[in-house]
Amino acid sequence: MSTIEISALTKSYGGGRPALADATFRYEGSGAIGYLGPNGAGKTTTLKLLTGLLRPTRGSARINGFDVHRERKAALADVGAIIESPEPYPSQTVAQAVEMVSDFRRGRSRSIAKEIADLHDRLELPPLDARTGRLSKGQRQRVVIAASLVRDPRIIILDEPTSGLDPKERILVRNLLNDLKKDHLILMSSHLMQEVTEICDQVIFINQGQILLRDTVGNVADRFRTRAVDVEFATPILLDRIRGIGPMVEDAAVVGERRFRISFDGSSSARSAILEALVRLGPVLTYQSASLALEDAYLALMQGDNGTDPALATPPAAR
Amino acid sequence: MAVDPPGVPSDAAQFGMAFRHQVRFYLRTMRFLALLVIVLVATVGFVAATIYYHVGGADAGGYLGGFLGLFTIFGLIIGAFLGGDAIAMDFGSPTGYYTLVLPVRRGTLLLGRYAAAFAASFVLILVYFVVAVSGAVYFHGVLGTPWVEVGESLGLASLYALGVLSVAFLFSSFFRSPATSMISTVLVLFFGLDIATGIAAFAGVDPWFSILWAGDAISEVFPSRVRIAGTGAVPTVPEGIAIMLVYAVLFLVVSAVLYQYKESKG
Repeated sequence: MSTIEISALTKSYGGGRPALADATFRYEGSGAIGYLGPNGAGKTTTLKLLTGLLRPTRGSARINGFDVHRERKAALADVGAIIESPEPYPSQTVAQAVEMVSDFRRGRSRSIAKEIADLHDRLELPPLDARTGRLSKGQRQRVVIAASLVRDPRIIILDEPTSGLDPKERILVRNLLNDLKKDHLILMSSHLMQEVTEICDQVIFINQGQILLRDTVGNVADRFRTRAVDVEFATPILLDRIRGIGPMVEDAAVVGERRFRISFDGSSSARSAILEALVRLGPVLTYQSASLALEDAYLALMQGDNGTDPALATPPAAR
Repeated sequence: MAVDPPGVPSDAAQFGMAFRHQVRFYLRTMRFLALLVIVLVATVGFVAATIYYHVGGADAGGYLGGFLGLFTIFGLIIGAFLGGDAIAMDFGSPTGYYTLVLPVRRGTLLLGRYAAAFAASFVLILVYFVVAVSGAVYFHGVLGTPWVEVGESLGLASLYALGVLSVAFLFSSFFRSPATSMISTVLVLFFGLDIATGIAAFAGVDPWFSILWAGDAISEVFPSRVRIAGTGAVPTVPEGIAIMLVYAVLFLVVSAVLYQYKESKG
């Protein structure tokens, strides 16, 4: 069974606050874990420590039971990783770039041409004989993603994998990761809450080198419930009529033509009661959360709010 | 000794992979092409000049000794430009993030790259020798050419290239920028050692610490080589071999240790 484990992992770059301080987590089996935090939070440092690009000041990083720094080859044997913005040798063709990774990972294979062709179709790679140095950033990123997946490593570590991709390419990668997470263990950092919401089952929030929270996406969504909804009517409605639909509405504001934002206590009952009352006011075109739950959680955590329920502070997730 | 994990190729197999991919990389770079053009222009120009001015030497050994004596300069440039980015490329460009996350020991990667840099250098050395020997054959015929000494000289030139490559690898492990690393190698080997050699000569000491001096052994195998006046003592062939061997091994080992501990902080 695939495992990723860090224990009291600390990295200092000299004086001052450590880039990562006593970080500990363990995940095993399959699924996708989102690693969230602002720039400089310690996300990339953690991923670099997990892939042997950095040496820990203290603590350990282990993959499949092997210490990444003492048994690097064994630890990374079943890992596909994209850290920062890797680039193959510019003179390599797409096929050669992917084949090189395949060679190092599992040795020469007669079926590699077929596997590369499959990845080419799946990820809509540029022509296999194109030089990687002449590709666009998005094309190169897809080649790098293909290389990280070739020969099917069971653990995938991704540092902002959709960075540089256009919306169509992002959807492609998102669908791929959703497919892969069924039988792979994926740890991915991202700034895109939408992406994490759509791909990940669990999340880790980190800021200033400290892990603030880790839990399932569902639990985080519950804890940091969205306290506003947006509604759009097909016909004009007066703001005062919305404010007056009942005590469950804390406030309401106009956000566009026939569009309103309604604040409430975040409970499911209030949310459905508001919808019922709005439908009675006029034809509702859309009704949705004003922001993503993860986005709310992210903002609250970065401001020092650890959520509404202290009992959830130490999550049982993925131990 | 660490055991290879199941499914992952052995260190020996990965050495072969690193060598193959790196050779392919070197042979496609502009700098390899540029070095090839420089070597061809210089050597063909030299032969053409000797033919034009009818200066073929008293025998083939003398001709080759003078011609191959110039190889130390070319060997230095070749080694610096082919080995100067070997380690820096992993830390000064995004390529490192592509290769260093793979299940391969850094020592294996380093040795594969070293062998590849040597292979690419050897192509250029061969070109140099083929043109030089062509000149000797033109003036003195096939039978007049000292083939055994040519072989020995080729071996020494190869050892010299290995020594220079090791120094280039060492500088490559100091810097993040491949260009800085290449230029530093040339500056230190060319000017630094030249100045130190001058000081040693002033003190009446043989510059045994200099690979440039040791490189004189490349032409020293030809007994009738023509020496340029005022160049001072030259090393014996065993001395040259010993110095070049120490450069090749010592600096490569230090580079490997530095590479092992270097971090991708960028």
